[in-house]
Amino acid sequence: MLKNYIKVAFRSLNKNRVYAIINILGLALGLTVTILVFLFINDETSYEKHWDGYERIYRTGIKADMMGQKMNAPVSCSPMANTFRTEFTDVETATRIQTINQEILMRHEQNKVYIQKGVRADSTFFKVFNYEFVHGNAETALKEDNALVLTEESARKLFGDKNAIGEVVNYDNRQDYIVRGIVKEPKGHAHFQFDMFLADPQIRNVWMNNGWYTYVKLKEGANFSAFEAEMKRNFMKKIAPDVERYMKITVEEFLSQGNAFEYQLQPLKDIHLHSQMDFEIKQNGNIIYIYVFIGIALLVILIAGINFMNLSTARSGKRAKEVGVRKVTGASRKMLIAQFLTESVIQSFIALFLAFILVELFLPGFNNIMETNLTLFNDYIGKTVLFALLVTLIYGLFAGSYPAFFLSAFQPIAVLKGDLTKTKGGALLRKVLVVIQFTASTILIIGMIIIFKQISFLHNKDLGFNGEQVIVVPLQTDAMTQNFRNYKDIFLKNSNVLSVTRASYYPGDNPNQNMFALEGNEEQLPLWNMEVDYDFMKTLDIELLEGRKFDREKESDSVPYYILNETAVKNLNIENAVGRRLGRYTGNDGGLEYGNIIGIVKDFHIEGFNQPIRPMILTIENFVWFASFKIAKNDMNATIDYIETEWNKLEPSHPFRYKFLDQKFGALLRQQENFGTMFLFLTILAIIISAMGLYGLASYTAEQRTKEIGIRKVLGSSVPQIMNMLTKDFIRLVLIANIFAWPITYLLAKNWLTNFSYQIDMPLLPYFFATFLALIIALITVSSQAYLAANSDPVDALKYE
Amino acid sequence: MIKLNQLTKVYRTDEIESTALNEVSFEIEKGEFVSIMGPSGCGKSTLLNILGLLDKPESGSYEFLGNEVAHLNEKGRSDIRKKNIGFIFQNFNLIDELTVFENIELPLLYNKVPAPERKQRVNEIIEKIGISHRSSHFPQQLSGGQQQRVAVARALINRPPLILADEPTGNLDSSHGNEVMELLCELHEAGTTIIMVTHSAHDASYSGRIINLLDGQIVSESKNKIAKAIV
Repeated sequence: MLKNYIKVAFRSLNKNRVYAIINILGLALGLTVTILVFLFINDETSYEKHWDGYERIYRTGIKADMMGQKMNAPVSCSPMANTFRTEFTDVETATRIQTINQEILMRHEQNKVYIQKGVRADSTFFKVFNYEFVHGNAETALKEDNALVLTEESARKLFGDKNAIGEVVNYDNRQDYIVRGIVKEPKGHAHFQFDMFLADPQIRNVWMNNGWYTYVKLKEGANFSAFEAEMKRNFMKKIAPDVERYMKITVEEFLSQGNAFEYQLQPLKDIHLHSQMDFEIKQNGNIIYIYVFIGIALLVILIAGINFMNLSTARSGKRAKEVGVRKVTGASRKMLIAQFLTESVIQSFIALFLAFILVELFLPGFNNIMETNLTLFNDYIGKTVLFALLVTLIYGLFAGSYPAFFLSAFQPIAVLKGDLTKTKGGALLRKVLVVIQFTASTILIIGMIIIFKQISFLHNKDLGFNGEQVIVVPLQTDAMTQNFRNYKDIFLKNSNVLSVTRASYYPGDNPNQNMFALEGNEEQLPLWNMEVDYDFMKTLDIELLEGRKFDREKESDSVPYYILNETAVKNLNIENAVGRRLGRYTGNDGGLEYGNIIGIVKDFHIEGFNQPIRPMILTIENFVWFASFKIAKNDMNATIDYIETEWNKLEPSHPFRYKFLDQKFGALLRQQENFGTMFLFLTILAIIISAMGLYGLASYTAEQRTKEIGIRKVLGSSVPQIMNMLTKDFIRLVLIANIFAWPITYLLAKNWLTNFSYQIDMPLLPYFFATFLALIIALITVSSQAYLAANSDPVDALKYE
Repeated sequence: MIKLNQLTKVYRTDEIESTALNEVSFEIEKGEFVSIMGPSGCGKSTLLNILGLLDKPESGSYEFLGNEVAHLNEKGRSDIRKKNIGFIFQNFNLIDELTVFENIELPLLYNKVPAPERKQRVNEIIEKIGISHRSSHFPQQLSGGQQQRVAVARALINRPPLILADEPTGNLDSSHGNEVMELLCELHEAGTTIIMVTHSAHDASYSGRIINLLDGQIVSESKNKIAKAIV
């Protein structure tokens, strides 16, 4: 029996090739999207799961609101990890790390290698994060002050094939370390990726300095909420003396002034998708992308499913006779339903087979756009196949069920007599389905345009600085830093070097925060501070609004000078800022170092656009480590060569490296751009599937009305009149779809835009454009069919029935 | 075998009510070959559909093999149909996607006959109707007469006690028509009950009894003297 069903299914598909191609290709594309999204989600949700007991690991953080300045960061102080280990019974262990934010020159004998991502960690790091040791062991690897652990890759770079254990490596021409362990790259993803681990056993016993990350691993069965409450209580007690020492007020007074400060714990497994705080170790993923992609996959599958239902019922007349014959020869309705479901499931599985091929073809492109490294044949291929089979089966049964019940209900007496009027039913349902389909497509079109508008808005946004033609070069030695001001002229000798400066960091980097206070006012001002050298504003083209720039002629090296940005002046209500004196907290004693505010600059962006502009303060400083050069557009390579040559003379120990500032900042936008590009492709796919379905439906409608068209033509109807008649219905459906699509998209887009601190005003044009586009697509697909029908010879048409 | 009593069938549209069968009563014995004749629209096809359990009467009773079947549900009718009744249509109604062999095999499939037996029985009957060289062809590749012979083969493959034929020669030329009528006579001789709707007096002459319908009522009934065989 099943053999018979399958045989008929294949012959029937072969006979109706256009219909079969639309169905199978549509579904194959839908499944392809679904499988890609599945792979993507699997990858995105796999973060941290390779660590032993990852569910018991938490990252600490602080949440503060001081003077209206909100701060939410996963940072912590130096003594915290040790406090966890010694004072909490629920804690298995805890670790403290400090990331090194620039590449480090490592040297073994004569071999110099820049290691990209280094981290300082205390000795318990490998107990919290169970890296696999190739040499050495987790217990002792970071115990000694000068211990160093390398990944296999880093060890290979430094030592080649030589066993590195016990070998001496020089750190940045400063200090020697001894290799005590070699670890494998972890098997899964984490929110950090390190190439080198340096022992960092020294605890700096200050609770108000949050330059570290702390991870705590609880014992199995520990009560989390009790632990969390205990942690908050304990740590607030610990920080109290520091608050009094530095801020000259008690914690109670501090909080009663409307400030807020609290410690928080964040599950390790939530970091990648749910953490968008200040000072993240690297840019995390975003759960919103997951939701959007799931949504798109569902829409695409829905669109393909609707094609299937529409086409099967529309062409039901063709199968009516078969139903009738089968019924009179003894088929029960149940058997017919089974037969039609078999057919749809078969089609689905052909589509699935195609989909796996398409996934393999699309994966390189997908990986390229999303900057992922997904493969189809990976560790969880079984899971992927099972998922795909399940989706296929559900789809086959679901999309096939309506046609199956519809077709199997035909009365043999009617259909065998050739009376097909009863088989033309389902027209209303078909219309509803077309409306749903076009609603989905229109949502995607509008969404796509809004996403692109927002991204291009961010691209064209006035950043407050100009990073074009600016290269950033890290300084490596104390001597270079000490004397850099004297070297500037060497570079400026080349007339294509327009300006030279330095700063402690640049747009695109993680900023720093410090406490300041206005003279005569005890209130703490949290400001994001940047230390810069002369000509900083000139090099980055930052506009001065009030006062003056830093000027070596007018300043003494022993007194600090300050320049604020607009936001600092506005948010902190500093009246008549220029000329006032401001103090910076220094050292451990809570002393203030006063200096003059000499100017106000226009706001400029440091972080990505999901963050608002911070209140910033620029201070003039000689000990800053990143030089930058503004160079002329012409002969750029020659100019950079010149800088390199001169630089290598000054700092021969470290090979010269540079980055373009605009690219550095542009990296912050990349995640959104990638997302937009992917959305564009998926939308195009969805539109193609919709159009295919509409094409199929239109051709069947035209076919069904062949006789009517023939009669109308005999009676004198013109071709345009007939085309109009055939097209009108579809156009109406598309318009109705737009009525649904507009408000749905409006709400979704509004929601998405709240992810950005800087949003476009909701534009109206994309809505009209999408409607227009949907209409054009519908018109082209439908009218091509209508044209053929309208131009057919009426005699043929009338003979046909 | 068949006993109709006061069988009535009314077709209703929104405004018009038309009586297709008006209190029709007759009996057909096992082994008879009966023709139903009458002009277009007299209700003969309706009658055949009701006899074949493809349609339900408005009122009256229909006893089939001693059981009342007039108001059975779809499933009950389908069960009786698949065991007892074979259909032959004017337009053959073969399934285009199935080969000759597969078309004939269909009723056996639905009656869950095991595969080896199916093969044997289908081959036997294909042989008998003389188209064994065409058994793997599709219906479109056959002439009308051949198609109708396949349809007859399909109708009797399951050895049903009753064959209903709706103008079996209507789409055939006379020589092909005669071939089909010969086939029906052979069946009849072998003991199968046959009820045939026809326009053609020639075809009707093969049967043992003729029922004439007009406007949904039986107007006359005659025994056929030149019937080729009567049990």
